Amino acid sequence: MSNSVLQASGRSGFPGTLSIPAILTGILGLLTLAVLVIDFWPYLAGGQATQALFSPDETDFDQILFHYSTLPRLAMAFLCGAGLALAGAAIQTVLRNPLASPTTLGVGAGVEFALTLFVLLAPASLAMFQEAFALAGGLIALAAVYLIAANRGNATLWLILAGMIVNLLLQSGSQIILLFNEQYLQSIFMWGAGDLAQNGWEDTQFVWPRVLIGMIAILALSRPLDLLALGDDTASSLGAKVTVLRLLILGLAVFITASVISAAGMIGFVGLAIPAALRIAGLSRSRDLMIYSVFTGGFALVVIDFLVRQFNEFGGDPLPTGAATALFGAPFIIFMLRKARIMPGSQSDDQHRDQQIVSKTALSITLSLSLVIGVVFSLFVSLDGNGFVVLGWQDSSFDILIGRSERTFAAMICGAALAVSGTLIQRVGRNPLASPEITGVSSATALAMIMALAIFGFGQRAELMVIGAAGGIASLLVLLALCRKFTHAPHYMLLNGLAMTAILGAIVRIVLTRGGTQTSMLMSWLAGTTYFTNMDEVMIVAAVTGVLLVVAIALKRPLELASLGTDQSVSLGLGISGFQFAMMLLAAILAASATLLVGPLSFVGLMAPHLARVAGYRLAGGHLLGAVLIGVNVMMVAEWLARNMIYPAQLPTGLIAALIGTSYFLILAVRKR
Amino acid sequence: MNILRALVCPVLLCAALIGAHASTAIADPIEIEHERGTLRLNTPATRVATINWAFTESVIALGLDPVAIADPQDYVDWVAKPDLPQSFVDLGQRSSPNLEALRASKPDLIISVPDLGMSYEKLAAIAPVLELRLFDGKRPAFETAREVFGKIAKATGREAEAKAYLAEFDQELIKYGDRIKTAIGPDQTINVVFFFDESNVGIFADISLPGSVMTAMGVPVAYDGEVNKWGFGRGGLEILAPYAKETLVYTNPVPEIVLDKLLNSPIWKVMDFTRNNRVYELPVVWAYGGVPSGLRFAKLLTETIENGPQ
Repeated sequence: MSNSVLQASGRSGFPGTLSIPAILTGILGLLTLAVLVIDFWPYLAGGQATQALFSPDETDFDQILFHYSTLPRLAMAFLCGAGLALAGAAIQTVLRNPLASPTTLGVGAGVEFALTLFVLLAPASLAMFQEAFALAGGLIALAAVYLIAANRGNATLWLILAGMIVNLLLQSGSQIILLFNEQYLQSIFMWGAGDLAQNGWEDTQFVWPRVLIGMIAILALSRPLDLLALGDDTASSLGAKVTVLRLLILGLAVFITASVISAAGMIGFVGLAIPAALRIAGLSRSRDLMIYSVFTGGFALVVIDFLVRQFNEFGGDPLPTGAATALFGAPFIIFMLRKARIMPGSQSDDQHRDQQIVSKTALSITLSLSLVIGVVFSLFVSLDGNGFVVLGWQDSSFDILIGRSERTFAAMICGAALAVSGTLIQRVGRNPLASPEITGVSSATALAMIMALAIFGFGQRAELMVIGAAGGIASLLVLLALCRKFTHAPHYMLLNGLAMTAILGAIVRIVLTRGGTQTSMLMSWLAGTTYFTNMDEVMIVAAVTGVLLVVAIALKRPLELASLGTDQSVSLGLGISGFQFAMMLLAAILAASATLLVGPLSFVGLMAPHLARVAGYRLAGGHLLGAVLIGVNVMMVAEWLARNMIYPAQLPTGLIAALIGTSYFLILAVRKR
Repeated sequence: MNILRALVCPVLLCAALIGAHASTAIADPIEIEHERGTLRLNTPATRVATINWAFTESVIALGLDPVAIADPQDYVDWVAKPDLPQSFVDLGQRSSPNLEALRASKPDLIISVPDLGMSYEKLAAIAPVLELRLFDGKRPAFETAREVFGKIAKATGREAEAKAYLAEFDQELIKYGDRIKTAIGPDQTINVVFFFDESNVGIFADISLPGSVMTAMGVPVAYDGEVNKWGFGRGGLEILAPYAKETLVYTNPVPEIVLDKLLNSPIWKVMDFTRNNRVYELPVVWAYGGVPSGLRFAKLLTETIENGPQ
């Protein structure tokens, strides 16, 4: 294997010099060799290596286990790492976006949704179609993404946006299915968190030909891909058929991703971190990047999985490799960012051509009216499984109204808080893909609360809220400290935030795989349920949101300048200006408050500001108000549906909000073509 | 301590007798220790809402129909017996019972678990809440289940029924235990396992409900490794290897796809329990339930073993 590394570095265009990528790959290669030696040692020492490798002794359980569990696990780790890293390299090059990864295009969520559905519903007689079904899920998700994004001016941006929409939609779908099959939660979570445990060679035999074919095809297309990297116009003038090539390469990357995920579950971070790190380390030509990605990705996952296996041998609950991957990968990417030289020109100068749909005044009035009518409707009308019921005046009516208003107002306040938070982050970060989630604040808050729940048990909500807020703000400070060397580079902050979100998300997933009966409750909180909120908390968060919204609106002029990139404020010496810092802090506090109330809603903070912008709210002040109106409306409707749609079951509001918002966004996107 | 108790007990007994006399006029409130201190009920509860299946089955086994039940559909799939009553209010999911439906069922007692502690105040606003812990990761689950059963009986004024039920239960357990020992032979121990997916399994230790019931039956549990709060260990198939010489019983339901793949995998086939034909399939029984599920487990385990390997 170290031979291949040398070959790769020979081809890489850095002959004779020891480049950072070559050193990186070399170290990982040596570590992989060490892993192999350690795993093979008992058989090497006894002279049974060949036997254990090819025809294990049927009576020796250790040999059987080695041959049918350890070996395929090693092979799978390499294949998955290599395949995902290559797919990531290809996608990042095609989309020219360092935030892109195989999962960004909704493929992971598509495969997960299809498999969840299949495992829970399909009879054993259809088992042979499981992989085909999973593959179809991934491809349909990609097709939907492509359909939305095709024929648009800024296809690069739209692909990612569409991928994100489809991702949210499918993840919500999967989670709703899971919530209604609580009993199978743990097994799905194991798989969902990326489990490499093997029982036979079946999975490996499924994955290797597919990954190999995909790799060869992508590498063959890497020369035209290099032309692509020069930009649409240049490539067209050189005669490359941009759209076809893009589609082809993306399709192949998806094919690899889908094969890997259906066999091993979500091991998402490899596809993002490895190529991004290699690019930061100095690889710019797509062919080099891909060849390096194959080996670096493969070696990295073998090494990480080896560490995970050692951890699992201590007994207790096993740690899923995919989640652990993020723990290893994310700090690494943060480290690499410090010397970063990332490819230029992502979406900061995004000017996608969205027309104003209706007049802003009419829209504002409509949204406000629907808000008033909606609140009255939410409080007095419900479904009871047979039809609509209007609340009459009985003894218990007052208590019922209190219960409903607690939840309705909680949802609305969170909608507002997240909308403001998202607007600030998108404006200051100058990135329409940014959201409170991407800065890591939501995850950190959720994580702090989950840890507190695990350690102190349930019941102390007031203390939990304080702990959660501390977690959210601490994560923001760490983030800013890490970013201090960057001048005027909101992208680094977002990328850093993404890495932190991945770490925190991984820990959340690990906690979830071992939650047992509490899992479903944690899950519904994570998905954004208002079930556990009470009026005092609603009031506190409402006050915080109100004050900060007023502050943000008062600062609309500097905010306008900041989002134009002509920020004149005094630098704090942190690499970002004092104003940017203040706005980000504001956004973090808002996101943390909303998270405390109803869990880390992953939708509203992202979509409400975006929808507001698409609907024509362009200037900072209007943008803020428009986003708040949209966020509050969406959350109010979502809350009513969550309480009543499948009576008596109580769905998480966040999931419904994601479903409503993304469906609307899909329709809008398709109609506008 | 013991001397003190010996002295104090007669005094208490006298006090209780006097109290009993007095209480013919004003009924003494029922007092039950639970996770939130002491619950006082003026009269035995008759309209009970159950948020966990262990409570649902316990209340039904005591001869009372719960007025509100969480997750009744899944109860049928995973707990199966005792049968649910003809009519009751469906509360939706156990993790978030519908408060409006709960209120509409007009309960006079809600039995809940500490896992749902975050909504204790909301539940308590509707009716008195009895919050009982089922698993703590230290105490054998069957012991806890008996205590919980006793508390539910006390709250519903059915202590005599509970005593009779448990007495019969203990006799049955011994009988079932003897039958199993006869069937599997004196040297064998049993592992009860369940399948997460085709590569990951859970294995019940002696503090789990199945494990502690087996201990009460006098049937040895094979697994002695690390466990979590619910009393099972978990890992790849290799965690079964040290116990491969023993008898293996796997629980249901399992998705057919998973079962198919697992039973045909090389590692499963090479295990001694497969080769020695000591693999048994247990029908649906709730492994995290209360006393009734414990008894049902004992009965089904006995019948399964007597019917022979699958």
